[in-house]
This record gives sequence, structure tokens and C-alpha cells, in this order.
Amino acid sequence: MTHAVALLLYVGSLILWFRSLLSGGRGRGPMLAFGLAAAGVAAHAIALARFTAEHGQLPLNGLAPSLSTVALIIGIGLVATLGLGEGRRVGIVLVPVVILLEAVAVSLGIEPAPEMLDFQGAWFAFHVTLAFAGLGGLAVAFASGLLYLVQLHELNTKRMGRLFQFTPPLATLDRLGRTGLVAGFITFTLALVLGWLWTVSFRQSFDQTNPKVLWAIMCWFIFVAALGVRVGDGVKERRSALASVVGFSLIVVSYLGLRLVSSQGGFFL
Amino acid sequence: MSPVSVVGVSHLTAPVEIRERFAFAPAEAEAALGALRTHSAVQEAVLLSTCNRTELYVCPGGNEGVQDAAERVLAEKAGEVVGGTKQYLYRHDGEATVRHLYRVAGGLDSLVLGEAEIQGQVKDAYELAGRNPATPALAGPILHRLFQSALAAGGRIRSTTPIGEGAASVASVAVDLARKIFGGLEGRQVMILGAGTTAELVVEALGRDGIRGLVVSNRTYERACELASILSGRAVHFDEMPFELAKTDILIASTAAPHPLVTRDGFRHARKGSQGGPLLILDLAIPRDVEPEVGNEPNVFLYNVDHLHEILDDNLLKRRKSVPEAEAIVDEYARDFLHWYGARGVVPVIRSLRARWDDVRQGELERLWQRLSHLPVDDRNVVEAFSKQLLNKLLHDPTERLKQGAGNGRGVEFIDAVRYLHDLETVEADRSEESGPDDDDEVGGIEVGGIEVDVPPADDE
Repeated sequence: MTHAVALLLYVGSLILWFRSLLSGGRGRGPMLAFGLAAAGVAAHAIALARFTAEHGQLPLNGLAPSLSTVALIIGIGLVATLGLGEGRRVGIVLVPVVILLEAVAVSLGIEPAPEMLDFQGAWFAFHVTLAFAGLGGLAVAFASGLLYLVQLHELNTKRMGRLFQFTPPLATLDRLGRTGLVAGFITFTLALVLGWLWTVSFRQSFDQTNPKVLWAIMCWFIFVAALGVRVGDGVKERRSALASVVGFSLIVVSYLGLRLVSSQGGFFL
Repeated sequence: MSPVSVVGVSHLTAPVEIRERFAFAPAEAEAALGALRTHSAVQEAVLLSTCNRTELYVCPGGNEGVQDAAERVLAEKAGEVVGGTKQYLYRHDGEATVRHLYRVAGGLDSLVLGEAEIQGQVKDAYELAGRNPATPALAGPILHRLFQSALAAGGRIRSTTPIGEGAASVASVAVDLARKIFGGLEGRQVMILGAGTTAELVVEALGRDGIRGLVVSNRTYERACELASILSGRAVHFDEMPFELAKTDILIASTAAPHPLVTRDGFRHARKGSQGGPLLILDLAIPRDVEPEVGNEPNVFLYNVDHLHEILDDNLLKRRKSVPEAEAIVDEYARDFLHWYGARGVVPVIRSLRARWDDVRQGELERLWQRLSHLPVDDRNVVEAFSKQLLNKLLHDPTERLKQGAGNGRGVEFIDAVRYLHDLETVEADRSEESGPDDDDEVGGIEVGGIEVDVPPADDE
């Protein structure tokens, strides 16, 4: 029920974001859209807290709870832009991502994983939460990068229409994207190190062919690439925006692909 | 009776050299409002003075004496004008004044359609008349209501229509572009190439708060120094321009040079080794000062005069398209105000109407008692009650119709008719001599347009 409320609030927020876009971001529309999204995040957090209380486990095992947690972390990433003025408008990209993840999670049924995994406990919780936070950071960088490319297109085509008026300044988007990437890179790297340490400490073996491991390493390289393109001459802001958009898209596509072909799909993520 | 009149001069009736003679500084406006107080018929007044208009709103409307007094205030300020000041002044009365103020506040009457600055200027004018402790408040209940609703109408026009959308001058396009590229101007370096007036206006519009530095470069160094001192910037010799270009975030070029001063090769050379951050170039010169190829360089946003005018034309077209929508809002607010004013005027009229016929009733009863002096007290009471009941029945429908008239915007029209048909001016004059000024407030009962009116029911027993 609380998940449904959160979804409704997110959808309401999305409608307001699009209405704001049509009005060129004038008036209180963006603030209301942001407020509704924040209310959705609050309801979402309550829903997952109730899940934890009812089932005695964090919503980190199983596909549906994991997707819902990733959605919540991305939502929190949006709320964190509160002090960024027009930067908050990345909500127009982030809210649909959150809605998509949460809707899939709800449709699958947010229930505890049927099979208890052997890697439970604080170690595992830290590992997964940090990994999800890393993905949340990359999602924020993706949203900023996408809007950066849109605004750049508007500036280069010398148009100053509603899209131009709605879209945040290039400098704000670049700063937000950089912050998302750096924060995401740090947390994701920590998550990988924790995962590796746990595996070698408790399992004494590290299966490098496990699709989950391969996917995680690919994600890490995408972070490295997106940050790496900021080094050097030329328009590093544009390169970084493009890398964030392509990188995040690659992660989503590769994840879906792995879900389809992996025999361990049920445990993946 | 008309609520309000306006006498004024604007960009639509007078050129700038005439308008500036009518312009009031705040202190002068206070003095002028003070002088208006000496005119006994002026109950309320607000003086709006901007670079594009000077207008004096006065209450009551429909009074030639009041309008003449307002016109004298403006004429005195303008002084001697060839051909007289009358030719430049306009007068509106009643609904036309109400609509005019709403159009002004909404930017529909502005030189630049939809400009937002006028909203603040209307507010300042109202506050000067109503709140400045040095000035006896001249904005009374009618102008208070009128200006408050004008500000609300202006706000709604701007927030719900695209009338203020998009920049409407080269300077504001520049500000919008800078804002969308850099976010803010804090720590930005601005360079002006040449000493054109438009460049100066752009710098003024950008504002100097937070700008790291402003550099002026011109072929004539003295002219560069002159402009730099006006804009609190720094002048550099023309041959130092490439060196400064490396550190520049916003370049405004407006020289009269016959060939480009910033070539692609020169630009590349100048920017070599710079941080490579974004550079906004506004080339306002004809012929152009900056080679178009420079616009293809990474992180360079080059806008020439044609680009800027295309943007402006597009924005102004959008603004013009939104005028009917804005006019509909003006109509709605004007109706509301006139409704309120009509309802406000109904209260004393109903009171006077009842007093008028109650006096008649009592007079007739007095005469009747003289002829029927033998009538016992109980019978007299019955006759008196009957007379009251009859009066209530007779006045019930006119009272209800007046209330309805106030509710549908025809209050003013009905009030005038009732006053005339029942000769209420005479009654009101007699009553005002008999009673104190506060008696009008002692009413209670039915609400008409937010105002309480004492109206007994028709079948009062």
C-alpha cells in the first residue's frame, strides 16, 4: 500500500515536471514537482522500513526489493539537489527512472527472497548499499549529462524557447554530474573492495566468470571512463556528460541482457 | 458615481524629452501628493512615475474638479511646454481607469510588452502614497483595493501567460545566455571590445555584482578609459586584447572596424594555454568583429546581431500572441473590482432609501393621528405596525434588486438610478447634518459583496 502511495506521488511529480517544462520552468511548478517527488521518497523510505521491520531483513536480497532500494537511493540523490536551485530540475529525468524501477519492483511483488543467501549480515549490507549508492550517483550524473547535452544543443542552435528556459545552466549541470560521478565512483569502488574482501576471506575463492562480478567490473570501468574523459584539453564537460549518458545506458542494457541469459538470474543484483 | 480617475502621460502620448519633464523623483512625488491633500475634493491619490509614464490616480472619479487638480499637479511639474501640456495628457474615468491600471501592471501598456519592472514600480507608487510615514496616507480604501488587485492581476498575467517569457532586448538576451551557460556571474571576467552604447547597456544589464573583472579595449585608448571609468572597469590597450581574451568568460564586441578583429587563428593563439572554459561572445558589430569560424571552436558560444534579433523577434511574437489571454485576465479583475465597488456603494444607498421612506411613513402617521386623535393606543399600534410592514414589502424588491445589481456588476448603474429616482442626495445631506460621521458604520445584518447591510424581511410582522 505504501509503495503504491509512493508510486502515485512520483507519477504526480512527473506530471508536474512536464507541465513545468511546457511553461518554460516559470512559476512554482518546478518547486511543486520537486516537493511531490520528495514526498514520494519519504513514502518510499517508510515502505522499505516497514519491509525491514516485518521481514527482519534489509530489502537488499531478491530482484524486487533490490530494484525498489535502488529506486529509493536515486530518489534520495534527487532530494540531495535541494540546494542547487535550477539544478533540482534533473528531477524530470530522475523521476521517470525511479518510477520505472519502482513499478517493476511492485509488479514483481516486493517480498523477501525465497532462498536465504549465505552472505547475510552487516558486511553484505554495506557491500550492497554502497554498490547501490554508486549506481545512484551514476544515475544523477546521467540525468545531469542528458540535460547538459540538451542545453548545449539549445545554445548551439541559438534557440531560447521553453526547453532552453527550463533546462538548468551548463555550469550547474556539470557540477552536479561531476559530484554524482565522484561520489558514485568512491562508493562503488568501496563496494567492490568489500565484496572482494568478503569473498576471499570467507569463500577462499573468487569466481571471475560470475556474471555479477563481470558486470560490477564493467560498471567500475564505466565510472573510470566517465571521470577519465574530464582529463585533457577540449570540451571536457561535454565529454563527461556524454560518457555519463552512454555509461549509464550501457549499465542498464547490460544488466537487462545478463538478467535474460544468466542462469543465476534469480540472485543477480 | 465613478470610483477613480487617472490623468497621465506615457510613451504612447509623448516623446522622451516631454516625458522626462513630467517625471517625479520619490521626494517630489511625496510633495505633490501632499499638495493634492489641500484640494478638498480629492479623497485618495497615488502617483506612478516611471521612465515611460507619469500617472496620477485620484478618487473620487467622475469629478472634473478632482481631475483638474490632478492635471495641475502634473502640469506644474512639467513647467512651460511648447503648445501646452494638455496635448500630451490623457484622462480616463471609472472602468476605463481600472482597466488601464490593470493593463499597466500586467505590462500590456509597456514600451516593451510584458516587461516585469512595472509591477515593482506600481507597488512602490502605492506604498509611497499609503505607507510612507512622512506623507499623510493618501491611498484610502478604494485605491488600496484597486492597487492590490492590480498587483494581483499583474502577477497572474505573468505567471499564467507567456507575456513575460523570453528576453525582449539585446541586453536581456545576453543576461539569459550568460545565466544559462555560467549559472551565475560570480568570478566571471567580462571584456568589452569597442565602446558602443549597446555594449554598455549589456554590461549594465549583466550587473557588476560578483564579476571578477571588467576590461574595456578600444582602438582609441582614451575612449576605453572613459567607458571603463563609467562602468568601474579597467581599460587596456588594443594590442593587449589577445592576452586578456585568454582570461575572458564573456566577450562583448561592438567596434566600428571594417574587418574582423578576432580571427579564428588569432583566437586559437590567444586561448592557447587557457583553462578552456566556456566563452560567450556577443558580436554586436556590423560588420562583424568576430570571424564566424570562431563559433566552431570548442566551448565557444558565438551570437551575432542576426542571431540576437532572431531570438528577440521570436520572443516578441510569443509575447504578442499571449495578449488576448492577458486581456481576459484584465477583464476578470476589472469585473471583480467594479463588483466590489458596486457592493460598497449599495450599503449607504439602501440605508438612505429606507430612511427616506421611513421619514415619509412617520410624517404620514403624525398627520393621521391628528385626524384620528380618538383612536385608542392599541389600535394606533396596529396601524403603526401595518405601516412598517407595508414599507418593508414595498422596499423589499428594490433592495433585493440593488443587492443583485451589486453582485452582477451593475451596482453603480442601479445606485445612480435609485439615488436620482428617490432624491436620496437631499436625504443624505439632511442626515449628515443631523448625525456624526461614524454613524454610517453602525449597520449589521445581510452581507452584500462582503459588506453588511441592515435589511428587514418583507413580511416582517
